[in-house]
Amino acid sequence: MKNLLELMGIEADRIHFSWISSAESTKFVKVVNEITAKVKALGPNQRFVKQAAKVA
Amino acid sequence: MGLAKRKAAYVEYAQAVPLKYAIDADSCIFLQKGKCGACQKICPTGAVDFKQKPSTETLNVGAVILAPGFTPFDPGRFDNYQYANLPNVVTSMEFERLLSASGPTAGHVTRQSKDHGEPKKIAWFQCVGSRDQNKCDNSYCSSVCCMYAIKEAVIAKEHAGDGLECTIFYMDMRTHGKDFERFYNSAKEKGVRFVRSRVHTIDPTPDESLNVRYVGDDGQAITETFDLIVLSVGLQTNPAVVDLAKQLDVDLTASRFCATDTFAPVATSRPGIFVCGAFQGPKDIPQSVVDASAAAEAAGEILTPARNTLTKVPEKVAELNVNGERPRIGVFVCRCGINIAGVVDVPSVAEFAATLPYVEYATDNLYACSQDTQDALAQTIKEKKLNRVVVAACTPKTHEPLFQETLIAAGLNKYLFEMANIRNHDSWVHKNNPELATKKAKDLVHSAVKKVALANPLTEAELNIAQSALVVGGGISGMAAALSLSRQGYPTHIVEQEAQLGGQARNIYQTAKGEAVAEKLQELVRSVEQDGNITVHLKTKLDQVEGFVGSFKSTLAGNKGQTVIEHGVAVLATGGKALTPTEYGYGKDPRIMTSLELDRKFMANDPVLDTAECAVFIQCVGSRQPDRPYCSRVCCTHSVDSALQLKKRRPEMNVYILYRDIRTYGERELLYKKAREAGVIFIRYALDHKPTVSITGSKVTVQVTDHVLGLPVAIDADLLTLATAVLPNRDERLANFFKVPMNEDGFFVERHAKLGPSEFATDGVFLCGLAHYPKPIDESIAQGKAAASRAITLLARKKIFTSGQVASVDPMVCSSCGVCVSVCPYSAPSFIDASARMHAGKAQINAVLCKGCGLCVASCRSGAIHLKGFDNDQIFAQVAAINWD
Amino acid sequence: MSEWEPKIVSFLCNWCSYGAADLAGVSRMEYPPNVRVVRIPCTGRMSPKFALAALREGADAVWVSG
Repeated sequence: MKNLLELMGIEADRIHFSWISSAESTKFVKVVNEITAKVKALGPNQRFVKQAAKVA
Repeated sequence: MGLAKRKAAYVEYAQAVPLKYAIDADSCIFLQKGKCGACQKICPTGAVDFKQKPSTETLNVGAVILAPGFTPFDPGRFDNYQYANLPNVVTSMEFERLLSASGPTAGHVTRQSKDHGEPKKIAWFQCVGSRDQNKCDNSYCSSVCCMYAIKEAVIAKEHAGDGLECTIFYMDMRTHGKDFERFYNSAKEKGVRFVRSRVHTIDPTPDESLNVRYVGDDGQAITETFDLIVLSVGLQTNPAVVDLAKQLDVDLTASRFCATDTFAPVATSRPGIFVCGAFQGPKDIPQSVVDASAAAEAAGEILTPARNTLTKVPEKVAELNVNGERPRIGVFVCRCGINIAGVVDVPSVAEFAATLPYVEYATDNLYACSQDTQDALAQTIKEKKLNRVVVAACTPKTHEPLFQETLIAAGLNKYLFEMANIRNHDSWVHKNNPELATKKAKDLVHSAVKKVALANPLTEAELNIAQSALVVGGGISGMAAALSLSRQGYPTHIVEQEAQLGGQARNIYQTAKGEAVAEKLQELVRSVEQDGNITVHLKTKLDQVEGFVGSFKSTLAGNKGQTVIEHGVAVLATGGKALTPTEYGYGKDPRIMTSLELDRKFMANDPVLDTAECAVFIQCVGSRQPDRPYCSRVCCTHSVDSALQLKKRRPEMNVYILYRDIRTYGERELLYKKAREAGVIFIRYALDHKPTVSITGSKVTVQVTDHVLGLPVAIDADLLTLATAVLPNRDERLANFFKVPMNEDGFFVERHAKLGPSEFATDGVFLCGLAHYPKPIDESIAQGKAAASRAITLLARKKIFTSGQVASVDPMVCSSCGVCVSVCPYSAPSFIDASARMHAGKAQINAVLCKGCGLCVASCRSGAIHLKGFDNDQIFAQVAAINWD
Repeated sequence: MSEWEPKIVSFLCNWCSYGAADLAGVSRMEYPPNVRVVRIPCTGRMSPKFALAALREGADAVWVSG
């Protein structure tokens, strides 16, 4: 999956996978914070949004 | 527990069901002094009623089950531990709260002294209020404390990082439960330190740390300082429960637990009154759950004639056909009092919803789940001719079924419904950001509306449950299960590969409570044989199993050829066997035998038992070692009991038990005490210093290093008993037949280690006895009854409805590649028979077996599989509905 | 204009992470409101198409959690 995105010019950090059990609310919040911070650092997604797709 | 303060209006705990407030009458100013009453004035639903009084009600019942639980031991009276004076000495229950995410410190472990510092060194003291006759009257073992102390130490290290030093001071480490020994081993690897010593004194230091004095393994006195000490307090029966038992005329044991018989482990001394949980004896969660099911089964047996006599059947409303209709969606946004409305601008969300395509009606409710709102919802569906409904409220995991009921009552298919989770996922977690929370709520509602617009009415497959059972294995637990099923009215087949019923119990002389097994076993076998509802197939094996929950078809192969039986459920009670040892000279001398062989000598009244000068037992033969890292649970009690029998027959006989930890859990501890008093000598050995056995001339000599003297001791044994491991009867074929998993040791893996110990994840298949894990007779019988109990909850429904949210194949698009057949964990997809008239060779999915996980849908390369209720277009629509501006 | 905020679409397993998210709510934890949840029956249901669809619709990131 990550490879596919890289191929399309999309940064690997735009897709995240995690495994959290239904009892791990603390982990859930931790992961939300981490991902939000990572994506924030990455900046807005420029590639493959609707307009670009139309051209392709 | 007094660790933190609580308001007079409170919720018991964050996961309480129902999640509702209550008033603490002792602290409420209104109830105590007649002033205040603010909560009554402020409550928008008028739910506060100060006039409620305790009332006495009389119920007419056919059976009573006692499950009053236990009270943790109060260590306040131990002056050497100074629990009452030292803030940094806490009980294990208090520590449990400190570790809890919903506890007073939100899971952050701190000292309880004023500095609230982070502890760097924590110690656990085991057996506080257990195995102790001197300071308290609890000479039994509480069974659970070793395991919970290890768990607390491991979790504390996980929270605080590897820098935290955790030390457990113990007498014997008792990790006799399923997979517990592995957990103990991994705790050692993670750096938890185990010290075998009973600490006698705690002295405070000026900075409120604690000096601990104890005697080390080598006999030297050691002083060590800890920041926090956890007292692993035992389980005891509450005095109020002792009074209750007196009132009910139910007998108690000397340790004040409910007295039960090994062969009727959940029956009290009074007919019709049953017991389960820690009142029956100190025990952990899995065993309590087993007992609970067993007690329910025992009560069910005497209530069988009355079954369904008080049931009311709700009236069915005819379902409206909405196929082909344009969607007419109703959106109901819940305020949940102030839970949602306090953060999210609910009216604006409802206004926004009204503007969305296909939405005919949108409103907000104070509490969407209240009965009057439900009635209004049903009314609105009819008046506005709605054919789809969205409720924006809390989580579908708890409330979807409730709203679906309302849809059904209004004549709508229950799958024409969607929830938007604007409470748990929104208002509760973004309370400081009302603007963005409102925006998120709108997005979630929009997604739900788009999704529901594409929803179709789904049908649920109806499945008849064949009203009969198959029990594989005719040992103690299998027979217990069969008798339970039969007594509750279900014809049952027992398949046993041996020529007679009884299993391993035939080899056992007596129980820990002193009951003669042979006698009781004979009674049990007789009641099975005389039961007209039970068919016993001896010398028979399972040859083939087809079908699934509700309609299994099993082929039995016996000496009379093959028979096919149909059954709705199956109980696997395939039992276990004793290991044949390859060490300690076994097989080389008739004086060296296994525990079961010694039992045979007892049963045969062998004269050697009255002439032997010296008997030696070696424990953990094949258990608790790298190739078999589990404890066989029964052997310590068995050897201690046999040692006592020998001492009773011949008091002058020298009896030695060579052990690693004595694991006489629960009231079995009293036997251990009795054995020491009778002069049985216990010598501990370490795994890397196993005893050695030499046979020279006429002597069998056992060499072991004594742990007190530190010196090697040689003992000449006339009887050398090897307490061998319990092995499962590993049967891969059977596991494949019923699609059930086995662990690396060969024991079956239950649905849930704690909450589902007697059933498999596979519907309609249950387990009990040694096939699950080594256990004594009382626990095997309890689990046999428990497995039957779980099976009966299914059988009694006569038919079940499966979910409508299942996968289905479009045979026109299917390329017969077979990926779905191979990926499905539940074996739901299969190929249509090559000779079929339609779609031969294409895939089809059995709606009964499908759990709706969608694995096949995602892996279908032809796009031929659709998941009803979560179809691609619905998920695309949900994604597209999010407004990012 | 305030600071740029990322837009994240999450696909959560009904039995695991969706439950964790519920519990986070029950425990009144706080986290940034940048995530939009799509409930799926199991991560097995997840298809790369969904992730691409989310990115195409303007999401800055996709999060799949079992």
